[in-house]
Amino acid sequence: MFIRLLKESISRNPRRKLLTGVALVLGMAVATATLTVAVDVGTQLAREFRSFGANLLVTPQADTLPVEIGGVDYRPVAQGAYLPVSKLPELKSIFWRHNILGFTPFLDVPVNVAPASAGVTKPFSATLIGTWYKHSLAVEDGASTFVTGASVTDPWWKIRGQWFNEDSTQCVVGASLAQDRHISIGDELSLSAPSLTGSTTVTVTGIVSAGGSQDNAIFCPLTLAQTLAGKPGEFRELSVSALTTPEDAFSRRDPNTMTPAEFDRWYCTPYISSIAHEIQQVFPGTRVRTVRRIAETEGSVLAHVGLLFWIITIAALIAAALAIAATSATTAMERRSELGLMKALGATNLLVGALFLSEQLLIAIVGGCIGFAIGAGLARELGESVFGVATSPRLIVLPIILAAAALIAVIASWIPLYRAAHLSPAPVLRGE
Amino acid sequence: MFKRLLWHLLRGNRVRMAVALLALTSGGAVVSALLNLNVDVNRKLSQEFRSLGANLVISSQTTAAASGTSPALIDASAIQTIERAQSAGVVAAPYLYVVAQAASAGNRDVVVAGTWLDRIARMSPSWQISGDSSLPRADGVHCLIGRNVSRTFGVITGGKITLANEGHVANLTVSGVIDAGGSEDNQIFVNLPVAQKLAGAEGKIQLIELSVPGSPEGIRALESRLQSALPALAVKPIPQITEAEGKLLGRIRFLIVSTGLLILVLTALCILATMAALAMERRKDVGLMKALGGSMQKVLRIFLAEVGILGVTGGILGYVLGMFLSIWMGHRVFGASITPRWEVFPATVALMLIVSLAGALPLRLLGNIRPAVILRGE
Repeated sequence: MFIRLLKESISRNPRRKLLTGVALVLGMAVATATLTVAVDVGTQLAREFRSFGANLLVTPQADTLPVEIGGVDYRPVAQGAYLPVSKLPELKSIFWRHNILGFTPFLDVPVNVAPASAGVTKPFSATLIGTWYKHSLAVEDGASTFVTGASVTDPWWKIRGQWFNEDSTQCVVGASLAQDRHISIGDELSLSAPSLTGSTTVTVTGIVSAGGSQDNAIFCPLTLAQTLAGKPGEFRELSVSALTTPEDAFSRRDPNTMTPAEFDRWYCTPYISSIAHEIQQVFPGTRVRTVRRIAETEGSVLAHVGLLFWIITIAALIAAALAIAATSATTAMERRSELGLMKALGATNLLVGALFLSEQLLIAIVGGCIGFAIGAGLARELGESVFGVATSPRLIVLPIILAAAALIAVIASWIPLYRAAHLSPAPVLRGE
Repeated sequence: MFKRLLWHLLRGNRVRMAVALLALTSGGAVVSALLNLNVDVNRKLSQEFRSLGANLVISSQTTAAASGTSPALIDASAIQTIERAQSAGVVAAPYLYVVAQAASAGNRDVVVAGTWLDRIARMSPSWQISGDSSLPRADGVHCLIGRNVSRTFGVITGGKITLANEGHVANLTVSGVIDAGGSEDNQIFVNLPVAQKLAGAEGKIQLIELSVPGSPEGIRALESRLQSALPALAVKPIPQITEAEGKLLGRIRFLIVSTGLLILVLTALCILATMAALAMERRKDVGLMKALGGSMQKVLRIFLAEVGILGVTGGILGYVLGMFLSIWMGHRVFGASITPRWEVFPATVALMLIVSLAGALPLRLLGNIRPAVILRGE
């Protein structure tokens, strides 16, 4: 009897349910979309922040003081300590390997530059920066290779022409140097290190603007710089770009003062300090520094934007709840005469209430499910257009959405139902 | 007559009106709060991005001097020009880098950065400086040293450092240690005249760094203004900072605006539902009005006026509420006070009016009503 009544009620007047249904679907779609994006916004923004460049710097511990101005190290080759390139694949085997988006080794060598072709005027000295641009690295976890280098850690470098090929005698010249020395693409330069005899001829394949003193340098493949410096397989500085959780009061504590439980929590959270700690573990004899200006800006901006977006999400949820409540109340009110008739025919308040509430629940669940599907698509679109990465739907949101939809629909129809149930059937049937 | 009818309608179904007004007010509050915050959010965020340090740099057009790698210097008067052309929030500082030998630490090479020490805290807010960092610009006997310099040279706050370069000597007392988390940890910071004396380059600087808050367009505008004021020099943005910052600000803004639009759609839906219910409830009234000779236009006008009043009231209430909301959000999110903007008021009211009129579409159903059927009670 109950189920038949329910079936009848839904199939008889579908238009009446339509308004509630549409409101539920729309409201829940918006709720799903904002919730999904809100869950993801922190991660996505953190990824965006990586376009500011590396946030960790690895240098040899026993190093002399780098004579570094604007990103170029002017130390002679004989001074200071070096790190082996062969250890680098181990960075992708640490606990937080998936958070390490890229790393680039640098080896700065002071060189004398002489023209090998007619275009360049007279010999001068400059700094040669040996690095990776797009270097494929065989990683320990098996067959996969990991492409890293300046294209990942320094994405703002702009090239006119081509980047050098790995393991070639090609180079890329900084924009200011090229302008001052009238170097153009296709020129050949003869490079020689002051400390070593012999020289290498390189071909200029591009002009790069990197900003700062690096625009006065020459970039070449790391192997070439190693040969010129007489330091095969070694580099001087490694910049690492890692995805991190914003710093908080807990992460700023000294790990040595933590209890074992706290240490585990710290170790298992991708704070920049715990990632630095782990890099230090696989790279003994190094000093891992946090690039503080980037880490701090990232932390404060992420925290604020995250909070702001949560407040807006809550506002959207309230708006969705209001819309659903208004439509639910509307449909419940419309059916007062039906209620009156049922009561006149002897239905108890309990039966009437149960009938209406289960109807609302059914609409809420169906509407919630459809709303979730649409909302997931909406979140996908939103993620795609804002971050260029589609936001993947989160199933965890579904039960929350369904529960919220059911709760709002029931509460909203409760008041009109309650009032209707306490009416005597006669005036309602008379149409008053 | 019109007024009396309107008054009756508005008082007629208070619950229904209250729901509609609640939806309009809350929608209006959120929208006006977001509109009010929009300007401030951008300003506050771009202010926060300034902890990244400088984003514009002014240097010589030719980067390297004719001889060797020593950088080309510019006249220190350029910084005066910039100070005079000062716009709000912009922090500028001159720099002169010298590689000097630390006579007190085994003649090892160290980079000495000459700048205005009183500007350091504002130029690089992310630096942690222990000791006394408030040195006046005229101070010639104190310096701040980077963390690595302190460790490598074994000098701490209060210690003495003697720097020498090409016969020029400076005896300095360390007044603080800088933890910069960057290459500045390897440098010694002194006031500009000290570095100029060490370099033997009186009245010269190497570059000027500027920390400019604001949108990418604003930064570009300042860039071209400074370039025309200083035609002999090169004004360049630091691409690492400006590009990423502009991109991030744009994304955050887009996110906020699109969520605000969704909230508007939901508000319209809420009004739509309420109006649909109202229209159904009033079928009898409309039938009676028509039977008594009221034209459909007149009837609709009354209902539209009703909706309009709702929209305007919701807009006004929403604006007031939204201002409180934005002030609260400003405190909670940015820890800064946010001033209510009057230009948001007409925008909120207009938006709510549009939303409520869009929500009133179901009233068109009333046009189909035939009085005879209604009055028969069907």
